[in-house]
Amino acid sequence: MLNVYLFQILNGLGLGMIYFLISVGLTLIFGLLNFVNFAHGAFFLLGSYLCYTTVTLTGNFWLSLLLAPLAVGLLAWLLERSLIRRIYHLPHTFQILVTLGIALIIQEVSIMLWGPVGKSVPTPELLRGIVRLGHFAYPQYRLFLIGFAALVAVALWLLLERTRFGALVRAGSESTETVSLLGTNIFRLFSITFALGVALAGLAGVLSAPLRGANPFLGPEILGVAFVVVVIGGMGSFGGALAAGLMVGVVQSLMASLWPQGSSLMIYAAMAVVILLRPYGLFGRA
Amino acid sequence: MRRDMLSSTNRFTTPRVSTRLLPATLLAATLGLGLAAGPSQAQDETPITVYGVKSLSGSNASYGKYAEMGSKLAVDEMSATLGRQIDYVSIDTEGNAGRAVRKVQEAIAQNGARLFNGATLSSTALAVGKEVNSAGGVFMTPAGADEITGSECNSATFRWSVPTYGAIQQTLVPYIDSHPDAKRFYTITPQYVFGEALLRNAEKVFADKGVEHVGNSYHSLQEQEFSGYLTNAMAANPDVLVLLNFGSQSSNALRQAVNFGLNQQMDIIMVWSSGLEQLQELGNDNIDGIYFGAQYWHEVDTPANRELVKKVKEAYGVTPNYPLAADYTMTKTLLQAVADSGATQGETLIHALEGRTYQGPTGEETIRAADHQVLKDYYLLEGKGAAEMTDASDYADIVSSGQSFLSPAQSGCHL
Repeated sequence: MLNVYLFQILNGLGLGMIYFLISVGLTLIFGLLNFVNFAHGAFFLLGSYLCYTTVTLTGNFWLSLLLAPLAVGLLAWLLERSLIRRIYHLPHTFQILVTLGIALIIQEVSIMLWGPVGKSVPTPELLRGIVRLGHFAYPQYRLFLIGFAALVAVALWLLLERTRFGALVRAGSESTETVSLLGTNIFRLFSITFALGVALAGLAGVLSAPLRGANPFLGPEILGVAFVVVVIGGMGSFGGALAAGLMVGVVQSLMASLWPQGSSLMIYAAMAVVILLRPYGLFGRA
Repeated sequence: MRRDMLSSTNRFTTPRVSTRLLPATLLAATLGLGLAAGPSQAQDETPITVYGVKSLSGSNASYGKYAEMGSKLAVDEMSATLGRQIDYVSIDTEGNAGRAVRKVQEAIAQNGARLFNGATLSSTALAVGKEVNSAGGVFMTPAGADEITGSECNSATFRWSVPTYGAIQQTLVPYIDSHPDAKRFYTITPQYVFGEALLRNAEKVFADKGVEHVGNSYHSLQEQEFSGYLTNAMAANPDVLVLLNFGSQSSNALRQAVNFGLNQQMDIIMVWSSGLEQLQELGNDNIDGIYFGAQYWHEVDTPANRELVKKVKEAYGVTPNYPLAADYTMTKTLLQAVADSGATQGETLIHALEGRTYQGPTGEETIRAADHQVLKDYYLLEGKGAAEMTDASDYADIVSSGQSFLSPAQSGCHL
């Protein structure tokens, strides 16, 4: 019989890939723009709601997987052009205030549009089954999520490491002035990166919707998880977000069997240990 | 219909002022004040202010929003009925007992607040109840932990909802009686006063009925990811999964249990649901064949409930749910007692509430004088699939209902 702890590790890896998806956009934006986006959880929430609406109207989850991140990314692009780029040069506290305001507006507008009660998104018909492993069952949808998140990770890595855009983003994260002096429109690069990071939050919202539903008060909780992952992995580190997401998922899942009431607490304990040993995170740089 | 009244009910220990005497009472109060302060400051012109302690943000915000709608509806209705200005002030608990208490303390100290109702979480209700009691006010709550009208009861606190003891008795007992093959039960419990109370009562039922409690997973009040706990449940191979959590936590636990296919392997009982609001949120895919405990159901056929359904549809265009019905009933009862007694705080108002019997949404409801617990029905529902629904709100059938209350002596309340 499959040992419960072994299954918890498997479950934790699946959970970790979801956490990676939730946090990778946040770390991307911080890495290039040195911008703290406290509206990240709200954009996740918007992705979940747009998924709900698309599925309700068309019955097609896969369409929402395409449309919702695009719509959230477009909104982010407009916000960046009209508001966010005006506060890049300000201290982080100002950025937090502005993005917190955006988060509250998104939350309240969501309540106005979709009501205070959460909404459920059915699991796509194709992935409704379970895979049996002895006494245990693992949902096909979560297996799909693991695979999809791995694909996203590979695609992002290729984008950042193997394309001209990625080279500019990486160069921009080192020195925006140098990249600008070399003739690159740095503001366009910022707009695209911000929109991409936020679209990833929207994508995570869509993929999480069948597991968690859409609820107007999801934002702060998701933001908390994303920051834990980003801080453990190292602010701005793509590889760090992946490693930390997996670490947080496995710790949380294993602790559900070892010390259930402390399962959530241990995520923060893990973060404290990492910060003590490596103040800039697992993959972060001073 | 199952009726299992375990307790003595201590009805009508204190006579209440009849509503027929209301005009005379108000006239007397008016004249009394008029002598002291002149006719322009008559008592019936003094505004009454009700403070609604609601979880308007945080993880139980959807509950708080409907509770707020219920209180406001009652305030508007009673204001028209009594011909008196009644103000309503919201206090957002943010789903946090500490913040709720600080805000209540401020309202008491700065605004002279004395009439309170609400509190979604038991931890909040216990803390707020103590503050209001110290200030000489009155507080009515729908929160569930036995302690509220049990070992930690106080003169100021009244509770509308059936406490955890009755919720367990009216869900697990009828389920076990009608499912003799179900022998192994696994519980998932939030680790705070409400969850502990449900678990304690569930363990007693398991022992009394001779079924096996094969395991329990505690979780924190912030938890929203339940796959780890569901894995523990799968490892224990139970016949029944019993969810002892509440609000968004129970919704996510159930949603994820269905995602893991647990509803195909075992029965699932959510002992304390928020009723219609939660079933709507979960949708038919997640509720079909699941058992839900409920304080209120809009299809209950009583005169007061028919009237409430009509009023709520007229006012808000929705079907009433548990938080709306609970806070409407509490606010209305509190204001009726204020009108009957002429008092907005203290012993006079408390005595006016004690022993009061009224037509509530669940039928005849009585406030037991000995512990301030409202005696009313609790319901066991079974969720329906989309094809079985006869109207947009027909998400479940009532399987059984009845009343189970510990006597004040058993619950440890000494007022």
